[in-house]
Amino acid sequence: MKGDTLIDIRNLVKVYQGRNTPAVDDLSLQICDGEIYGILGPNGAGKTTIISILCNLIHPTSGSVSIDGLSLASDKRKIKQLTGVVFQDIALYDRLTAFENLRYFGTLYGIHRHELEERINKLLIRLGLEKFSDEKVGTFSGGMKRRINLLAGLLHNPRLLFLDEPAVGIDVQSRNVIIEFLQELNASGTTIVYTSHMMEEAQKLCTRVAVIDYGKVIAVATPDELINNNPDCRSLEDVFLKLTGRSLRDDFQ
Amino acid sequence: MRLRKYLISVQKEALLLIRDIEGVVLIFLMPVILVMVVTLLQHRTFQNLAEVKIPVVVVDYDNDSLGSAFSRGIGNAGIFEVTTVRGTDSSQLLKARQDVAGGKYQIGIVIPEDATRSIKNRVIVLIQQQLPEALKTAEAGSSLQSTISLFFDPVTKQSFKELTRASLEKFAAVTENRIFITAYSKVIDAITGQQSVLDIPDEPGIVFREDMVSEYTGGVMPNSVQHNVPAWTLFGMFLICIPVAGSIIKERSEGCLARLKTLPISFLNILMPKTIVFVVICMLQALAIFLIGIYLMPFLGLPGLQIGGNYAALFFITFASALAASGFGIAIGSIASTHVQASTFGSVSTVILAAIGGVWVPVMIMPEIMRSISAFSPLNWGVTGYYSVFLRNASTLEVMPEILKLTAFFVFCIMAGVWFRKS
Repeated sequence: MKGDTLIDIRNLVKVYQGRNTPAVDDLSLQICDGEIYGILGPNGAGKTTIISILCNLIHPTSGSVSIDGLSLASDKRKIKQLTGVVFQDIALYDRLTAFENLRYFGTLYGIHRHELEERINKLLIRLGLEKFSDEKVGTFSGGMKRRINLLAGLLHNPRLLFLDEPAVGIDVQSRNVIIEFLQELNASGTTIVYTSHMMEEAQKLCTRVAVIDYGKVIAVATPDELINNNPDCRSLEDVFLKLTGRSLRDDFQ
Repeated sequence: MRLRKYLISVQKEALLLIRDIEGVVLIFLMPVILVMVVTLLQHRTFQNLAEVKIPVVVVDYDNDSLGSAFSRGIGNAGIFEVTTVRGTDSSQLLKARQDVAGGKYQIGIVIPEDATRSIKNRVIVLIQQQLPEALKTAEAGSSLQSTISLFFDPVTKQSFKELTRASLEKFAAVTENRIFITAYSKVIDAITGQQSVLDIPDEPGIVFREDMVSEYTGGVMPNSVQHNVPAWTLFGMFLICIPVAGSIIKERSEGCLARLKTLPISFLNILMPKTIVFVVICMLQALAIFLIGIYLMPFLGLPGLQIGGNYAALFFITFASALAASGFGIAIGSIASTHVQASTFGSVSTVILAAIGGVWVPVMIMPEIMRSISAFSPLNWGVTGYYSVFLRNASTLEVMPEILKLTAFFVFCIMAGVWFRKS
């Protein structure tokens, strides 16, 4: 753990309409300032539900969440200003250029024009996309779209960044650039909450992970601690399979 | 900064729309084609009865003054296209009946051979009742009444038959009167010993004048253009609900809406820019169609669109209609889950609202129950507003009820959309 508690989740429950079992079941977590915190779990474990609640996209059935001392229920606007979100879906407009997409989302975050343009150009260079600034996103490869998708969530220099499977389905090079970039962001003070299926990526990136299954926390530790506490496991993936089992987990939306 | 957020959102919506060039062309082209086709098709239906002549065959066995006066009289009336056949034997009657049955003529009229003679006999009888014995010079014949036969095409409507019968009765009465007056004149000449020249004017002493009850000094009469252009323009505007709903569903299904919801902006910041862009599109659409109505339709043999003289009222009724149409699209886009749902519901509901709103058939000729239902269609409010502006030269204040109803419909749609998404 690095700093003070930034996110405090207490007894969180989410039951979707028409479902008998909760997607999140009495879950409590504390995430500290400066961490790269991995929320790991198989399909249907409740990862995306937790991120969606933290981003205020869905309301919990019960429980409380505070971010930087602000209540998620009553301080939505302030929380939105200090958080950034990168979803699994490529949430970009295909008919707009990379620059136009970023300028649009950046302006909605309230960043002033010149500062925004400067920041967009800097970030595009950092992720190797400066040559494609004026090309429509619809013409981009999957890896390029993922990189722009990531930038759209952090234009306002958020203190806290939520990432839901940010590097899923892309080439190794793009994934590597994204991982390095996230480490840089974290080094500059951004706390990152990250969900993934990719254990190798999580092991490399996360300072601490929570393994969840059926909406409950089943382990919280650093990746090294989890491996060391399970002598029969040589990697985070082995630990993950040991904790969550080897049976298939098919999920529906 | 709040204004900048709105401006960048409007710019984004405009860019997304403009870059779908095929979509923009369809948005403008389809309503234009629709208005032109429907107006051309309905032009004849909307023409006054006087402009559509009823083909009539007159078989004249009388071959005297009544027969010729009758044919001439109904021919001059302007509503009949008269073909007179001189009757000599039954073959002309048989041929005329076949022609009517075959649809060549809608009406057949048979004037019997003693028609003039019968009237003259009646006149003689009437006159002689009033004269002293010494002056009775002529002897009336036995025939005092003749029967004019009518036969109709079986598809002729009852109202049409009654109209025709009333017109024919009028001409028969006029002709009988002329014979009457001529006979009286001859009697008076006999009494006075003078030779007067009787000149009976063709025009009746009492004439009727028809005016539309309109304050508009130009006296614009409703025709196919005056009805169809505004009515189908509104229909085209409301069809914009499909691209509006489509843009919302696309934004939602691709995850952009979820991202927007995580930003420090209100939901109105997402909906209003969309509304602004599509309202502008609707208004440009209306402008294009009105210009076509004014300048192009006369080249197609149609009357030019008369838009009245109150441009402010025209602007506001168009603006309110565009708001209502865009709001309708936003509500559909918020409620529907898929493009198929939105396009099916959007198109079918627009057709229903148009049908009950008086777009296809003017409300004034609908049955009572449909007129009551019509009052709930936003397209009816729009059509009523346009009628008021185009035909009565109504002021903005006079069309304010329609403007307010359309605006209230927009607010209702936005609230329904927001409520549905939040719940």
